[in-house]
Amino acid sequence: MKRGVLVLGWLGRTLLIVLLVILGSTILMRFAPGYLSDAREMDSRYAVEARAELSAEAERSRSIPQMVIAEIRGWAHGDFGTSRQFEVPVSELIAPRVAVSGGLLLRGIGLAWVVALCAALIASAGRNPSVFWQTPATIVLAIPTAALATFCLLADRGGPVLVMALLLAARDFKFLDHTLRKAWLEPHVLQARAQGIGPWRVVVAHLAPALAPRLGALASLSVVTALSALVPVEVIFNVPGLGQLAWNAALNRDLPVLLGVMVLMAVAVTCTGMGSARTEEWKSA
Amino acid sequence: MKLRRAILCLLAGLIVAASAVVCMPGSNYARQDRDATLASASVSHPAGTDALGRDRLVRVAAAFLLSLAGAVAASALTTAAAAGVGTLAAFGRSAMGWTLMLVCDVFLALPWMFLLMMVRSALPLTTSPGRSATITFLVLAALGWPASARAVYRGVLELKRSDWMLYARATGLNGGSVVRHIIPNLFPLLVPQFLISIPAFVMAEANLGALGLGVGEPLPSWGGMLFELNNSPLLMQTRWVYFPVILLVLVLLLLEGAAAEA
Repeated sequence: MKRGVLVLGWLGRTLLIVLLVILGSTILMRFAPGYLSDAREMDSRYAVEARAELSAEAERSRSIPQMVIAEIRGWAHGDFGTSRQFEVPVSELIAPRVAVSGGLLLRGIGLAWVVALCAALIASAGRNPSVFWQTPATIVLAIPTAALATFCLLADRGGPVLVMALLLAARDFKFLDHTLRKAWLEPHVLQARAQGIGPWRVVVAHLAPALAPRLGALASLSVVTALSALVPVEVIFNVPGLGQLAWNAALNRDLPVLLGVMVLMAVAVTCTGMGSARTEEWKSA
Repeated sequence: MKLRRAILCLLAGLIVAASAVVCMPGSNYARQDRDATLASASVSHPAGTDALGRDRLVRVAAAFLLSLAGAVAASALTTAAAAGVGTLAAFGRSAMGWTLMLVCDVFLALPWMFLLMMVRSALPLTTSPGRSATITFLVLAALGWPASARAVYRGVLELKRSDWMLYARATGLNGGSVVRHIIPNLFPLLVPQFLISIPAFVMAEANLGALGLGVGEPLPSWGGMLFELNNSPLLMQTRWVYFPVILLVLVLLLLEGAAAEA
């Protein structure tokens, strides 16, 4: 019963956040100073047509509540408006790219977790602060994603998954190293080691259960980091995913597409964040 | 402590050097030397020139100062907003606290890069470079506060439950005085938040600029210089294109080092 209430509360809060994101983004977009402007206005061949379209858009978007309702209705029906640039439903542009970006994110996160976990286990078991391991992680995190991706492209070494995994592994490693270092110093772990229990057995019996509740937070951290890196990685490696679609929409001022992608990303972040926040609550319910 | 001092000295040295380069007579980040486009290092252009014949050293120095000033200002705004929201949420009625934390969740649910791109693309076509730089850093400040506000909220709640606070309230100290005593105790929390935000904002501006959506030309920015890396033929002609990237990584390492030491 208590768990059911928690799940309902979680779903309610997630839904409320998503609705607020749609509301906020729509208002932000409508009141943006460049909403009713188009690059075609500068070209005399297309200026008249562009201005006519913008007048129609201004008429349609005069009432903010109606605009928000239309947006929410569109989301409920799976149709997120019409792209200004391609003049097709936004859902048609987004749907095929979800699988591409999702695949990239999953492979990147999976590889990063394996690398970070192995590195953190080795580094945290050492006596001294893991300068040897921390330094490369710090350097990788100090390189802008766009520069890292460009270097990999120029060197012809690695692809989008590797860049994504490198970046995530560096961040995840810092988190896992900190968590595991604390776990190694827990009294029961020290006792087990003093009694001569092997390191592998300590990891399986004591460290893994201590780490399990933090996996939700790690997933949340990974998803947020990966989504931030998605645009530069997809743009530089020419991956036809959501990041590239959003970048293209931003350059061409295709705000309906940008809004659609952003709300989708917000749903992903909210669900992961909420999931991680609730993992421990469910365990203690 | 020694490491922190060394980092701060290095940063100060870089700021002085960059200011000297920018203020040198005759140096102008927008001036073009059309006879020396994509030139290698020389006496007149110590770090070569870009594709438009502009001195790369002057542009890197100006980009460093602009980015640092923007990031510091944005970080100060973020920290002030976080302190205000966190304190209000902790000391206000529970409904207010819940609402403010919900607002934080909404902001945290919006991926930075996508929202930045949306705001940047929604600017008028005639936005000046100076305005685009101001808007970029203002948007960064507007998006950066929720995570810090959550940390401040937790910190203030802990302070609110502390013995000295209980004693102060029991002896009849009013709300305003309580907050006045809280703020100095929040500094150990606010200073790291302020320092952590600076490299994050520098990095965000660089990534946005690398996608062609950052500070407008001819104003120099890290992102604008990273954008040069997309031009493969240019990379074949001069290795000096990598100079801004190396310096940016060094600056970010120093800023992150300063934040970690705090």
